Amino acid sequence: MFQIIKRLWQVNWAEQWQYRANLLMYLLYWLVSPIIYLAVWTSIANQKGSVNGFTANDFTTYYMLLLICDQVTSNIVIHSFGYKIQDGTLSGELIRPIHPMLTNGLVNNIAFKTLTFMGLIPIWIILYFLFKPDFSGVSITGILLAIPVMLLAFITGYLLSATITSLAFWTTRVYSIHEFYFAILLLFSGQFVPLTLMPKIIQDIAQYLPFQLFMYYPIQVILGKLSTEKIIQGYVSAGIWLVVAITLFNWVWRNGVKRYSAVGA
Amino acid sequence: MHTLKLLSSFLKVNIQMSLAYRADTIVNILLNLMWLGWELLSLNIIFSNTTTLGGWGLGELIALLGVFRLVNTMMIALIWPNTEKFNQSIRDGSMDYTILQPVSSLFLVTFSRITVWRIWDLILAIVLIFVGINMSGDIATASSILTFILLAISGMIVIYSLWIVLIALTFWFTKFDNNVTILQALLDSGRYPATVYPTWLRIIVTFIIPIAVATTIPLQALRGELTVNQVVLFFAVGVVSFWIATRVWKAGLKQYSGASS
Repeated sequence: MFQIIKRLWQVNWAEQWQYRANLLMYLLYWLVSPIIYLAVWTSIANQKGSVNGFTANDFTTYYMLLLICDQVTSNIVIHSFGYKIQDGTLSGELIRPIHPMLTNGLVNNIAFKTLTFMGLIPIWIILYFLFKPDFSGVSITGILLAIPVMLLAFITGYLLSATITSLAFWTTRVYSIHEFYFAILLLFSGQFVPLTLMPKIIQDIAQYLPFQLFMYYPIQVILGKLSTEKIIQGYVSAGIWLVVAITLFNWVWRNGVKRYSAVGA
Repeated sequence: MHTLKLLSSFLKVNIQMSLAYRADTIVNILLNLMWLGWELLSLNIIFSNTTTLGGWGLGELIALLGVFRLVNTMMIALIWPNTEKFNQSIRDGSMDYTILQPVSSLFLVTFSRITVWRIWDLILAIVLIFVGINMSGDIATASSILTFILLAISGMIVIYSLWIVLIALTFWFTKFDNNVTILQALLDSGRYPATVYPTWLRIIVTFIIPIAVATTIPLQALRGELTVNQVVLFFAVGVVSFWIATRVWKAGLKQYSGASS
């Protein structure tokens, strides 16, 4: 198995490396919104002193960490896999004795993320000197506590996106469904603004959804802003959602493959 | 006259193409409404925490959202589909047929693909602008509305010209096929007044990828914040950039040698 993963890594790494210019463009594209939100909220905080207890520096640190957390927990499986189901290239992968989505697809995503991360580091350092955030609230314990939950969130998020991608077995409009999913994520993950500044009802719903684990929760853990009780709550929720995501994906994938009749076959 | 006839037949062809995907059109319109809902909600969240953003009120930001949506529509309805077609025509050499037509090649490259259903987005944008201005309580005089329209058009021309330059570069660098991503990447900055951005970002969105020229500046004109000199200057920028774009385009065409030869 290790040999297989190693070989898959080599292939996917080479493939992603070939598209490094595209990757850089993607990175730029993805960077812009958080920086804009950062500018908007720090401008408000500067004007009023603080927004609901958030100072300008709180916003800066929040969005600077968001860049990292989002990069770790997000995935591109809809783009790297969706078309395979639609145009029939999946057939070749299905006859291999390994799970296409959980081996090749996953390794492809990790290769992509590793490369974008390499691009992000220098940009992040430049942004650090441009915004000069004060990271004194960050502790080693916070970072160590956040890493496992970010990895759990990545796997959960990957499985949820993989589930949506698998809907391509039934419908050609899977990209529209994914756009809807993306909007939900925007609403409940804390991407636009720290969740505590969202309307009360959204905060309440977010408690029960996995999306805050992608951004808001790990950022707050790193910044040391959550009580022990809240941290435990987050871990429990991450565990539950992982199980839900595994079950959901397995069910949708199994039924989808049964329905699958390759294009052109 | 001839050009108008061509334009209307392009529209007809594109309507026919999109009629093949009726259900998709409905889904797209629903998604579009969802994003409008999100945009209004995000403005609501911002203004539940403050009364002004960079000196602008809620009404002005709604109007800005309308102007942003105008630019965004140009991007999605014209620039993206035509870029896709253009890039492919450079790769496979079908650009030959475009050049052979007895019409301006720039015109053909700009209008041969139109995402028709997006036209409804234009109506939405204009409604947003009207509602926003009304809410803001800014006194819009005939002259301020006129300068607003003038600068909005010239701002769109600036972005359009930049697009022409970017795709014309493909004549020299055939592999440069993510040519418009950079434009799209910074587009989102048009949702908020450029005055709230840190200086370096303001410089980028005003001078390098001039999104703000098409969004923030027309609205500033509407609010009467610009002097006559500035209005003339921004209008001149539109004219000059279009002139430069046509030059670059012509030079690029000379460079073009087809895909097979």
